Amino acid sequence: MSTNSQSSTVLDAPVIEATGLRKRFGDTLAVDGLSFSVPPGSILGLLGPNGAGKTTTIKLLTTLLPIDEGSATVAGHDVATAADSVRGSIGLAGQSAAVDDKLTVRQNLDLFGRLYHLPADTRRARVTELVERFGMSEYANRTAETLSGGERRRLDLVAALIADPPAIFLDEPTTGLDPRGRLALWQQIRDIRDAGAAVVLTTQYLEEADQLADYIVVIDRGAAVAAGTTAELKARLERDVLQVTVDDPQRLADAIAALGADSAIAIDEHTVHLAVASAAEGLAALRRVDDAGVTTADFQLRRPTLDDVFIEITGEPVSHVEEVPQETSR
Amino acid sequence: MITMQDTLSIARRDLIRTARMPEQLTFAVIMGIFFLLLFYYVFGGVISAGSDVDYVQFLVPGVLVITAVNGAQQTGTGLALDLSTGVVDRFRSLPMSQIAVIAGRTVADTIRNSVGVLLVVAVGYLMGFRFDSLPGAVGTIAVAVGLGYAFSWVGAWIGARIRNAETVGMLSMFWLFPLMLASSAFVPTDGMHEFVRVFAEFQPVSVVSDAARSLAAGKPADGAILGSLAWIVGLTVVFAWLAARAYRRP
Repeated sequence: MSTNSQSSTVLDAPVIEATGLRKRFGDTLAVDGLSFSVPPGSILGLLGPNGAGKTTTIKLLTTLLPIDEGSATVAGHDVATAADSVRGSIGLAGQSAAVDDKLTVRQNLDLFGRLYHLPADTRRARVTELVERFGMSEYANRTAETLSGGERRRLDLVAALIADPPAIFLDEPTTGLDPRGRLALWQQIRDIRDAGAAVVLTTQYLEEADQLADYIVVIDRGAAVAAGTTAELKARLERDVLQVTVDDPQRLADAIAALGADSAIAIDEHTVHLAVASAAEGLAALRRVDDAGVTTADFQLRRPTLDDVFIEITGEPVSHVEEVPQETSR
Repeated sequence: MITMQDTLSIARRDLIRTARMPEQLTFAVIMGIFFLLLFYYVFGGVISAGSDVDYVQFLVPGVLVITAVNGAQQTGTGLALDLSTGVVDRFRSLPMSQIAVIAGRTVADTIRNSVGVLLVVAVGYLMGFRFDSLPGAVGTIAVAVGLGYAFSWVGAWIGARIRNAETVGMLSMFWLFPLMLASSAFVPTDGMHEFVRVFAEFQPVSVVSDAARSLAAGKPADGAILGSLAWIVGLTVVFAWLAARAYRRP
């Protein structure tokens, strides 16, 4: 059994490797040809709106769903043909936070230790070590149902680490957490990475991908629409962004016409975002709006954010993701 | 070996859960005593009238069987709950034997059922019930608990198929109650309507109740005992296979 990192990872060879992954549910292609690799000590962020195929990708890589096409290996084991060895090499923390609400923190960790078949003394030592390392001593003997949302998520995360697996999968680990809980969990995820694990993290938050991921794959409708480091993705949008807010929303159309609508990245009720090559071009654009007789309430020339990149790539802002139907959990 | 170890780990988890849900535990354990008292004090007089049947001797072995099989509904609701909350998804990602998730639950539920069965014996003794001998007592309890174990696989199959705890709970009305009531557990089958009687005489709860009664009285009826073993083994094998198949569906 390969339950620890030494057993099968060659130094810096990818721990997780996916090649042309495809998964179909009826007529919909939930995952459409995803390829990526994750070396030890790094975090890969799968970024996309709900229903983009993030959870399905995690399920394919963790043997919860059969792969239709393509292949994947985890710690050198083929996901399709060596599911048992793969399960011995991974830790999964899901968005459903599947800790047992009736068991205490310690009992939850102990249960996972048993199910990974750790010898009794190793198991006990590991539970104690993790409880201390992740600051859970205060509530270690409380049942999970009495924990706060953040404490539960932390327990869920730590349970995935019990056997010290080389590959960790985190499916939207911070969804529903308050900002403080999120910051704390981010630090813990970085610590896990720094301890040498290869981490795949799904998120719909750009900020989270920006903060945590060493490499980002942006997915939309199952397919990778962009990939790279945060800096590389931002560099895709070489130009600056001019953001113009008009006084009267009725006149936004006139403003867009004056600005030249073809270079608009995003438009909402009062504001148009537009890529410009230089400050001079931005100033000229503003003058055209003024000449058209539209009153400008606010304007701003700024460097592109990951948000702009996302909108340019997928055509829709991440903040509208709630409207997209939830992907089914089965 | 791994399967055995995982089964015990899951059984341990399920027993801790059971102990932390006192309402459910109480309900499961008290159910038998409730049936015993209800049937004895409501129907005892009618049934004993004009016959030489000692109703407490007749009733207690039947109620032991009822107590053991009634736990099957909680096997179903418990498994359905695990399947719907994501706990099972987590288990599926672990290097453990997957059948252990169900097998562990049937073991835990059988231990819980046994507590209920022993309580019924204790209350029965207070009401004047007596086993003929110790081996008879062991045999009676063994067939009752054995059928309960077989039935927990039926419950597991339903839970793994339906995967909604409430629906599984309501559904038990329709399969478990007819088996419990249209049986020889509480009253002899002689007085039942023809249709019901044919069913009642051959169905597992009746066969095992008859066997339990014969063992308790020290007059082992070979036919009923062999029939009981056949039902217990047959139901366990068939429904373990069905439950495992239903559970494997993602």
